[in-house]
Amino acid sequence: MQNILSHLKDTLNQYPDFKYSASLTLWQTDFLRFYRSQTNYNISKESTSLSVNIYKLKKAYSFSIDNPTTEKIDAAIKTALNVIDTLPEDPHFVDVESDPRVATPRTICNNILAIPLEHKTKILSRIAHSVEAHNFELFGTFICNFSSTTLINSNQLLKTGSYSPIYLEIKAVHRESQVTVMETFGGDDFAAFDLDDFEDRLLQKIAYTKNPITDVDAGQYDVILAPRCFAEFVQYLSYGMSAYALDQRSSYFEGKIDSKVFPEIISITDDPMDHELIRRDYNSDGHIYETLKLIDKGFFRSFMCNSYYHHKTGLPKNGNSALCLRIDHGNEALDEMIGQIKKGLYISSLHYMNFINPKETSLTGLTRDGTFLIEDGKITKVVNNLRFTERISRIMENTLVLENRAYTIPFSDNYDRFDIQTVKAPHALVKGFNITSSTRTI
Amino acid sequence: MKAMINSIISKLNTSDIEFADVRITITDYEDIGFENGHLRGYDSAMDSIAIGIRVLMQGCWGFAGARDLSEKSIDTLIKTAKTNAKHGSLFLREKVTFPKLTPSTAEYNFVPEIDPFTMSKEEKLSLLGEIATSIKPQGMIVHSYLSAEFEKQEKYYANTEGSYSHTVVYNTLPIMNVISADSGQIQSRTWPGHMSAGRGGFELLHKHEFLANTERIIKEATDLLKAPVITEDKADIIIGCGHLALQLHESVGHATEADRIFGQEISYAGKTFIKPKMLGNFRYGSELVNIYSDSTDPKGMGYHPMDDEGVPGRRTDVITNGILKNQQTSRHIAHLLGLEPSSNMKASFADDFPLVRMTNFCLAPGKGSLEELICATEHGYLLDFTKTWSIDDNRYNFQFTTEIGYRIDNGKITSIVKEPTYFGITPEFWNACDAICGEEEWDYYSTYHCGKGEPGQVMRLSHGVAPARFKNVNVRVSL
Repeated sequence: MQNILSHLKDTLNQYPDFKYSASLTLWQTDFLRFYRSQTNYNISKESTSLSVNIYKLKKAYSFSIDNPTTEKIDAAIKTALNVIDTLPEDPHFVDVESDPRVATPRTICNNILAIPLEHKTKILSRIAHSVEAHNFELFGTFICNFSSTTLINSNQLLKTGSYSPIYLEIKAVHRESQVTVMETFGGDDFAAFDLDDFEDRLLQKIAYTKNPITDVDAGQYDVILAPRCFAEFVQYLSYGMSAYALDQRSSYFEGKIDSKVFPEIISITDDPMDHELIRRDYNSDGHIYETLKLIDKGFFRSFMCNSYYHHKTGLPKNGNSALCLRIDHGNEALDEMIGQIKKGLYISSLHYMNFINPKETSLTGLTRDGTFLIEDGKITKVVNNLRFTERISRIMENTLVLENRAYTIPFSDNYDRFDIQTVKAPHALVKGFNITSSTRTI
Repeated sequence: MKAMINSIISKLNTSDIEFADVRITITDYEDIGFENGHLRGYDSAMDSIAIGIRVLMQGCWGFAGARDLSEKSIDTLIKTAKTNAKHGSLFLREKVTFPKLTPSTAEYNFVPEIDPFTMSKEEKLSLLGEIATSIKPQGMIVHSYLSAEFEKQEKYYANTEGSYSHTVVYNTLPIMNVISADSGQIQSRTWPGHMSAGRGGFELLHKHEFLANTERIIKEATDLLKAPVITEDKADIIIGCGHLALQLHESVGHATEADRIFGQEISYAGKTFIKPKMLGNFRYGSELVNIYSDSTDPKGMGYHPMDDEGVPGRRTDVITNGILKNQQTSRHIAHLLGLEPSSNMKASFADDFPLVRMTNFCLAPGKGSLEELICATEHGYLLDFTKTWSIDDNRYNFQFTTEIGYRIDNGKITSIVKEPTYFGITPEFWNACDAICGEEEWDYYSTYHCGKGEPGQVMRLSHGVAPARFKNVNVRVSL
């Protein structure tokens, strides 16, 4: 497909008063979805798409083409030429990305080819058999993606980034009570997947569900947030660390650069160099993706800022977008953390969170896939799913202890082209977590 | 295209395939966005072609999709879909089966009043620019945006039973928003709210009277900065259409998608509190509550003459006089429940796998105007314009915040409250419904953004609603 980009470049270079940026992406997914310990459907999808932004001084026009050909490109450029002079200006546009740095080359394995469907179904059959003995069934997804994007622009950038993430999410659901537990694997190296360990962890969680089911009243509880929960709160918090949010006056961190915002144990980094995370080479503009300290021992250090908002807000450009978040671990073992709680909750996973007010970081959401009561330092009962209404800033302020290890947690980005990202986080002990109602259901 | 799709079907009409269908979509899309009065983006994607082939073999679904209609691509898709079904069947306990349907054909061509893709670009940008300029930062307003998304989708569908349909539809989604700020807090107001999409073209920009409402949202966003919050524990609330559409969507629409009963969405969107034994006897709401799914009404974005597995469009009464009667189903799920398929299988684009989806999902009107309902309310709040939404994975416990609440005292609106928040349990809430406004207030409110399925799809769908009142609702959330 390189001839497509060459043709685009040659055509647009005929217009010296144009600036442009373009990306050509090959995207593939192999998607196995299962329910009740059997296949729901298998999907294979593939697309090649070209996205082009054309700028004439401060006027901008964008188009995208699926399965691009030189003829389609010529037609789209003809439309762009007819339209662009008629458009109003964006006074804040200055230039396209100019970062010349190229990421260190690395070998990318296409996991769609490396993990064939027969292998996936064998793994699932084995785990299904293991949980069957406990009257549980499997629900979930086993996905491999492959994506390769080449970026060019009028500042002579030519960069290619590829990645091939794997996402395995298994929910084990009790046939009668519907009590659910979850285990996941995410990354780009399937050699790191240890089936025995994965199965052991899932069965350990199933063991917790043997306890009776209870309900709890609204109120403030000391909680252990599983790594998935703590990671998700930090993902939401990271919205306020973007120059975009600052520009909208919606950032919690407005006016707080280099201020102490959280306890010393909180350090958050956007770290594409961490080999246990799904790595990124460039942001969508072609800026190299490098390690960026966001919160350092409780101090807020940086807004994530791309080229456009760099020119608009004057903030330093860094090209980060919270795709590789790592939360530093602490010093205590999980058992010790649970042991410190007289009466509280263990929360495995969160569901349907939404900001009430992003500036205040207030939001509501629910627990899901395993909520447990802790009494006298031990997990004693299964609890119905609960609603919380909280401020993430308060959750961070009330974080007393972080576990002495961090886990790689995969998340699916389900609202655009199906994407997978990972966050590394430890368990967290948070005091006074605000439960506002019970769902009365599992 | 018809010849092509029939040719593909003929390749799938083999003895080893129990059922197969093919879809091709051709989509034009434009998204124009203004920020703080300036054009921020003008994006277009024209003639985006997608194809999807779904086969049922050995009782298992296999699917392959692409954005390439070449012969080579189609042959690869057929092979891949069959391989996916065969390999998927290695992890299968119960085979997918459903009764055959009598073949049918359908043709539908929607013509908008103003075609957004052929109208003059100057005219289009002129009105949008005027609206954007009128809401740019001023006074306490620190940020604003206006966006308009236009879509035309042509779809071809055929299956191995002999059914065929060809449709062309237009959808438009316009919305504007202002953010106010003062003393470290922000508030926002949108118009016409988050369910502002609709079947149609550029005429929807005129229908929603954007220019006539810019002053209102600027004033309300500014006034909200100093407005109080609700301090009572419980109150009677009237919910306006823009938000009631979402309440209906989340707590009834998704709850009655029957694929959830069987856990097909547990891995992402969730399940439902509804069990098969509830059909025909469960009191979901008060006597006033009548809710139906109707893909036969061309005024809504959920209209189709045939769904994405060959079921002709139909109306299904889901809740009648408060009693749960039916579900939104696929052919497979309907067969498992002993129901007629409800024509609710839809995919966003042809290279997406069809899922049980809402179409036009409606609360039937009652009697009287909104003004009369306010007059008949001694004390309460009129809530509208969704700000925050959240519901649990059984669709049982919800909590919503709207952008604004209008306090009602002795039948009159007396002041506003900021970030009014209410929560409840689905059947308790719908049983607290004691009034629904009449046909004069009833209309469709629509969205582009109903997320479901993996890989994720966002569906265009509509909700018909009129404002309704709910008694003694929890309106206090301590934070």
